[in-house]
Amino acid sequence: MSYKRPRATSPSGSQKRPRGVGATPSTITLGTELPPDEDGDDGAFVPVWKQTVTDERGRRRLHGAFTGGFSAGYFNTVGSKEGWAPKAFVSSRANRNKDTAQRAEDFMDEEDKAEAAESRELETAQSFATIGRVGDHQNDALFGLFVTEEETMGVKIAQKMGWRRDQGVGRKVRRTARSDDTSGAAAHMFAPNDSRMMSAAREEVNRKGLGYQSEARLGATDEKEPKDRPMLALPFLEDRSKPKVPKKAAPKKSSFGVGILNDTGSDDEDPYELGPKITFNKSLGKDKKPKKPSKFAKTAAAEGIVFKPKKTSGEITGSPRLSHDGKPPLPGFVLATQVIDLTSKKRYPLPKIPPGWKSAKSTAQPADSQSYQSVPDAAKSSTLDAKARASLLGETLLPGKSVFDFIPKDVRDRLATMTGKVNLPQGRGEGAPEGYQDSNSTKPKDLWTFVPILDKSTAAAALAKGATGWMPYAEDPNKRARYVSCLELRAGLRHDLPERAENMSVSEWAKELQEFAHAAEVFKPTTGIMASRFTSSTSTSLPGSGSNTPNENLLSKPTPKPEDPAEQAAKLGMYGPMTRTSFPFHPSRLLCKRFNVKPPAMPPAADADADGAGFKGKTEEAVSKSALDKMMHEVLSKGAPALQRPAWMGAAPQETLSGSPVTAAEPDGGHATVDVEKNDALVQERAPEDLFKAIFGEDDDDE
Amino acid sequence: MPPFPAKPIAKLTGHTGPVHAVAYSASPHSYILTGAADRAIRLYNPSKAPSSSVAPASSAAYPPGLVNKYNAHGYEVLSIDVNQANDRFVSTGGDKTVFLWDVQTAQTVRRFTGHGGRVNRGVFGGEGDSVIVSASFDGTVRIWDVRSTSYKPIMMFSDAKDSVTDVLVFDGEIVSGSVDGRVRSYDLRTGYCQVDVIGYPVTSLAMSKKGTEVLVSSLDSTVRLMDRTNGQLLKAYRDEAFVNTDLRVRSTLGLNDSVVISGSDDGMVFAWDLLGGTTLHKFRHSQMREVKGKVEKKEKGKKDIVSAVAFCPSRREWASAGGDGNVIVWGMDN
Repeated sequence: MSYKRPRATSPSGSQKRPRGVGATPSTITLGTELPPDEDGDDGAFVPVWKQTVTDERGRRRLHGAFTGGFSAGYFNTVGSKEGWAPKAFVSSRANRNKDTAQRAEDFMDEEDKAEAAESRELETAQSFATIGRVGDHQNDALFGLFVTEEETMGVKIAQKMGWRRDQGVGRKVRRTARSDDTSGAAAHMFAPNDSRMMSAAREEVNRKGLGYQSEARLGATDEKEPKDRPMLALPFLEDRSKPKVPKKAAPKKSSFGVGILNDTGSDDEDPYELGPKITFNKSLGKDKKPKKPSKFAKTAAAEGIVFKPKKTSGEITGSPRLSHDGKPPLPGFVLATQVIDLTSKKRYPLPKIPPGWKSAKSTAQPADSQSYQSVPDAAKSSTLDAKARASLLGETLLPGKSVFDFIPKDVRDRLATMTGKVNLPQGRGEGAPEGYQDSNSTKPKDLWTFVPILDKSTAAAALAKGATGWMPYAEDPNKRARYVSCLELRAGLRHDLPERAENMSVSEWAKELQEFAHAAEVFKPTTGIMASRFTSSTSTSLPGSGSNTPNENLLSKPTPKPEDPAEQAAKLGMYGPMTRTSFPFHPSRLLCKRFNVKPPAMPPAADADADGAGFKGKTEEAVSKSALDKMMHEVLSKGAPALQRPAWMGAAPQETLSGSPVTAAEPDGGHATVDVEKNDALVQERAPEDLFKAIFGEDDDDE
Repeated sequence: MPPFPAKPIAKLTGHTGPVHAVAYSASPHSYILTGAADRAIRLYNPSKAPSSSVAPASSAAYPPGLVNKYNAHGYEVLSIDVNQANDRFVSTGGDKTVFLWDVQTAQTVRRFTGHGGRVNRGVFGGEGDSVIVSASFDGTVRIWDVRSTSYKPIMMFSDAKDSVTDVLVFDGEIVSGSVDGRVRSYDLRTGYCQVDVIGYPVTSLAMSKKGTEVLVSSLDSTVRLMDRTNGQLLKAYRDEAFVNTDLRVRSTLGLNDSVVISGSDDGMVFAWDLLGGTTLHKFRHSQMREVKGKVEKKEKGKKDIVSAVAFCPSRREWASAGGDGNVIVWGMDN
């Protein structure tokens, strides 16, 4: 925390330099001005750049960068250039730690130690301590404080005052002697009887330190006064008959805490200051006022607050009633005869409302108790039924109807007489609603249970598909009609039962309806993404092949490809004609040339396709062994296929028609594909060669 | 019955992958070309590679008997065929390309591209080896002209429904075997193709010297000798230890068409009597020894296969190429 001294914000007149050349000062100074105080802080004007900031001890805190700011780090922190001086290492090998027992002083700081020392130094002498020692309750006999062997100061004083042991303390009492012979009964002055000390309950003893003076409390001061009294101020020692002398006010003692009334406004007095403790009464050697008027009581009396201390008992019988401190009450005050209970507030009765008064704010009409009717009573007395109420309220009638709407009136009356209830609704005897009446009695109502549940949208979609495209049961128009009617029923277009074909049992009819529902689910047009992936077939199924139902069509797998009989034969090891096929191909001329073979006579390029087709057809039935053998024979024997070709081309269809035992033409057809058709490059290549041959015949021969 | 060469006389080492192709050179038949999955083709002189030779540590080093290396393939090498003049050879492989090599310069003379899949087989054909016939995974057989500079095939047979695994040229005929279980013989003279259904995927073809029989390996652990004239089965060669169900395994005829030898899936080499159909010899390639009696079943390792065999046309000598990268040349004792 730094302090900055308040200074003048502007230079005073004396510090100002005269301005201007011809300006003459208005004042004349004589003598020499005193030099400014070196460390004197007179609050004179100092420019900002000359001001210094100090801490609470007046040390300079901020050093400028040019004036030793570097050293600011340690100069003002630990006070040495080296910083905290490290503790010299002391080897504990030679001198072990000897005192390991910890004392309480090890944990006390200076303040604690001073307090401890102070609490030690002012000890009550033993001889004095027995009297009035607070909290000594072991000896409950009167003057149990005297039981100590050595005579204490109090005993000495009491004995000097004529007190003897086993005597009461107090003024002597005139009475007759208590002896057996009461003849010469003469009154004598006797010491008062020894009485037992009034023992205060332990828990009621407020343990207070010496010198503590309780603050007076409102309402509780008087009750606690006897208990708070020090023991020495024994009330029973006082002669009750003796009028109490007014005691002078006790000097004001400081106590813990300062009330706001004690605040004098001066700050120099620290109420919490732990000053010289000798100011407290630590010993009991001196006279102590047994009672002090409480501060509050005094102030209260001074300020005229109505506060009467309560009389503890009615034993104070003096005619001028004194307050508890023996003083008569202040003029103008009388002692209260009863305790004012401040805690109990007086309760006043409610003001009486004048009869006939009406609040202007009450809006509720005064309920007529005679015409008041509870809700159930009103409901009972009402003659309206639910429909009447609904009509009154303008509601539309609910579709649900009561059973009484359907039973005739006599039945309702019978019910009423049987149950004894007269408030049954009227029997209306209505007929069944539309769609539910069994007008045609041939179809009982429970036939509806056979009609399968079908989603309305599904039925409508199936119907729409049937309208635009394909619909199942094309082979049976009657069945299709029934299917359509079923769909229409479920689509909400009709309301009567689906028709049943003649000589069809109910179970068959139900089964057919289930089939219709299934078919509608199946043939419902696809929607959304799925629909976008399919296109509807343009060709419908052939009506002639309607023996199988559409369901079977859907679920039928593609027929497995029949295994090649040649493969079967090969698997069986029947190699030979069964496993051998052949097909013609067209070796290119260049290839034949490279192989130095005479190329087979090629048909013209224009005929290649037709020939290829012919070859294909031929090779498809080339499995015919007789045809193959004949062909091979012709080929091998005559050697010129070109010559033979027209012959077997003409013969081949006949052989096909004649029927060959091996009829595996179709599956094997793939092998007979003539690649000449595909090989456009070769075909195109060959045509220019013919051209080349025609043109460059010699070149070809040369090669 | 002539004695069968059953003694390993040479071991050609150096390949770091399974050897898929082995071929004897032409007429003196003194060299062996091998192609392997390590994309390399090597030319060996088996007479300089003793059977005790071991593979060098570095694949760049020349093992005993290695004459030359031919590196152009980017994928595995699947077949090699040497022309009659011994100056060119053709190799095919996984890079859909048919390579025509010059033996001396170790450079490719031509590269024929156009196949849509790996090329399983490439052989010379025609008069003076003027064409190359290649069989490919794309189901086509293409015939490439060596003499012209055309990059297009002379002809293409796309009849096969599946991968064409082997093709051979005999005189004026081109015979192809396919995985669809058929052997197609394209006769250029007649313009007819004969299709013989084998029923199982065909992996290898071998023609007899007369050209009237063809040896067909199929994936039912059977090697068949088919009569080409009528398509009948002449002989089926099986053995209880012979396993060929998954891999392309070559078979061939040898000893003047008197024995049939074939590799197998489990590292064995079998030799059958052609006429009798009985098993003559069984060899374990990796152990370089003949197995007498019953073949103990070994767990089939990945490398323990014999995918190619080749019989020397002139000597009593044959070679087996195994999955371990070694080629064993088997010969007579003498």
